[in-house]
Amino acid sequence: MAENKERGSLSDILNDSVDSEINEDEGEEVTAAEVLERLEQAWLNEKFAPELLESKVELVECMLDQIKEMEENLKEAGKGDLVGSLHRLEIQRIRYVISSYLKIRLKKIEKYAFHIMEPSNDKTDYISRLSAEEHVYAKEYCKNVEDLLKSLALDDMPPNINSLDKKKSVPQPNLDSYLFMKVLQPQEQVELDPDDQPTDLEEGAQHLVRYSVISSLLENGAVALT
Amino acid sequence: MADDSLYGSLQVRPSGWDYFELDDILACQEKIPCTFETQVKDLGFLDHGSDSEHIEPATKMELPFWLAKELCARQRKIISVELPKVYREAYRQILEADATAVDLNKLGPYFYSVGGKLLEFGNAENPRIAETLMMTYMKRMRRLMDLSLNKLDGSKESQTLLPKLDHDEHNVFAFSQEGLREFEQWKQGVISKLTSSKTVINQRKRKRTEDN
Amino acid sequence: MDPSEVDFLSEKQHVKILPNFKEGRIFLISGDLGPFEPGLTAEVPLWMAVNLKQRKKCRIIPPDWMNIGQLEERKDEEKEREYFTEMPSKSYLELASLLLKSARDDIPHADEVQTLIKDIWEIRMAKLRKSINIMMQEKETHARLDNLTHLEINSIRPFLTSALDRMHILRCNVVENPSTGTDY
Repeated sequence: MAENKERGSLSDILNDSVDSEINEDEGEEVTAAEVLERLEQAWLNEKFAPELLESKVELVECMLDQIKEMEENLKEAGKGDLVGSLHRLEIQRIRYVISSYLKIRLKKIEKYAFHIMEPSNDKTDYISRLSAEEHVYAKEYCKNVEDLLKSLALDDMPPNINSLDKKKSVPQPNLDSYLFMKVLQPQEQVELDPDDQPTDLEEGAQHLVRYSVISSLLENGAVALT
Repeated sequence: MADDSLYGSLQVRPSGWDYFELDDILACQEKIPCTFETQVKDLGFLDHGSDSEHIEPATKMELPFWLAKELCARQRKIISVELPKVYREAYRQILEADATAVDLNKLGPYFYSVGGKLLEFGNAENPRIAETLMMTYMKRMRRLMDLSLNKLDGSKESQTLLPKLDHDEHNVFAFSQEGLREFEQWKQGVISKLTSSKTVINQRKRKRTEDN
Repeated sequence: MDPSEVDFLSEKQHVKILPNFKEGRIFLISGDLGPFEPGLTAEVPLWMAVNLKQRKKCRIIPPDWMNIGQLEERKDEEKEREYFTEMPSKSYLELASLLLKSARDDIPHADEVQTLIKDIWEIRMAKLRKSINIMMQEKETHARLDNLTHLEINSIRPFLTSALDRMHILRCNVVENPSTGTDY
């Protein structure tokens, strides 16, 4: 749970800020507009990536705080108020991104629940990519599905086939699925396919590649999905 | 064609896999010609062509892939498996000569998928089978693109080509057409109007029938 | 991705408006805007421009490139060049259709502009199909597609990703079953 604690402290700092100027834990100054931009990119990355990515719940929480504060301020504004209505429109847009982002993650969590919750040495530690709430949800979901499968069928099966093999018999994301990405930070000599010479990735270039060859670049923000 | 050494580090399966995928389950039901190597007691009735009580060695029978796989395991080789004829040399040559004209739906609606599964039996012809599957797909991909990205009107060409697609190819086609349909709707400005989702409509209908 | 989401993303880009109202700076979460003075141009995100326009609060000033002269030049260039030219906006079609729909009276020669944009789109889509064709013939396993706009990527995404995903499985079959004989 160490990562949750850390996340807590980060969002605490984010919560403390009242203005649009926000301090991140590394002393980096981030404006609300930048947080929004990051959230929008996280949304698109999550949308196109086949597997569950690291949770950006701290961005979500930060935006929700901004919205809450804004809505507080808007209470006094009348319905016909021009500026108030523009603020409300913007809030709706941000809410859309937040809910779409969270829904995409929930969908993945449900689809790959056992794969995510069953740790193994030869795959990503997905549990650490879940937010505290998602972790609770995933655990509950796995338990419910397992109970269902047991009561529906497994309990009535002969002993040698009455268990669920959570390593083999569960859906897994296709890490080799093709997607479009754009280069944010130039990279030298990246092997996009074992069948080809390594290529330099130029800033701003767009490529159609398999997810597995760029997943680490996506994780450190050198590329973004589009 | 391909230099194998270059493929060396290509990540291989299992990477994406859905145990509960219906298409995969259906592909596993496809029949494969098998020959019994040992006697199987009391199951003679499975062979409609014979009256004997047991399945005798050398009995030929078509079994679904999932069963053949189990009976052909290394520890207990109860059967031996033959290649279905569409994966044998004669057909491979037809496919290589004119991949686009072949009716893959007729040869087996799960042509690529079953072909890939057959490789698990470790046949000596595996390299040729794998290569034929890939070459066939690549040659047909251009047609598939034309079909997939053309307007949704049932043109004559698509009418004659569509039924010849393998199941996987058909999925690519259907998926692309869905995207095209959304785009056409967007162009006409339909999407900006809110529509209630299909499930909501169904639920309302159901409620109404329950009331009656 | 649903085209309406591509639209949604395109609505972030800024356009110039001529407001007919007076208002101080507006502190949106996505950044500060204004102040607004009647008759003085201001920059706002497209979603706001369209909203203000619908409420008859402003005129939208079409982007520089959205005129017959420039679009004709772009069309010719797109025809001549082998590769995709860089468009003035990553979402030129979304922007154009939104403006042509909601602020048509603000765009000089709207009909001609609409036709030119449609022409450019069609030239680019034909080019896109041609490149995919080449990609398949050359048996490429990845591609560089610079200057493709969001909607263009989105319109080709379902086909390309699903077709290539299946090809990859067949490639893996070949790798797992290397030919040892002398036939190749």
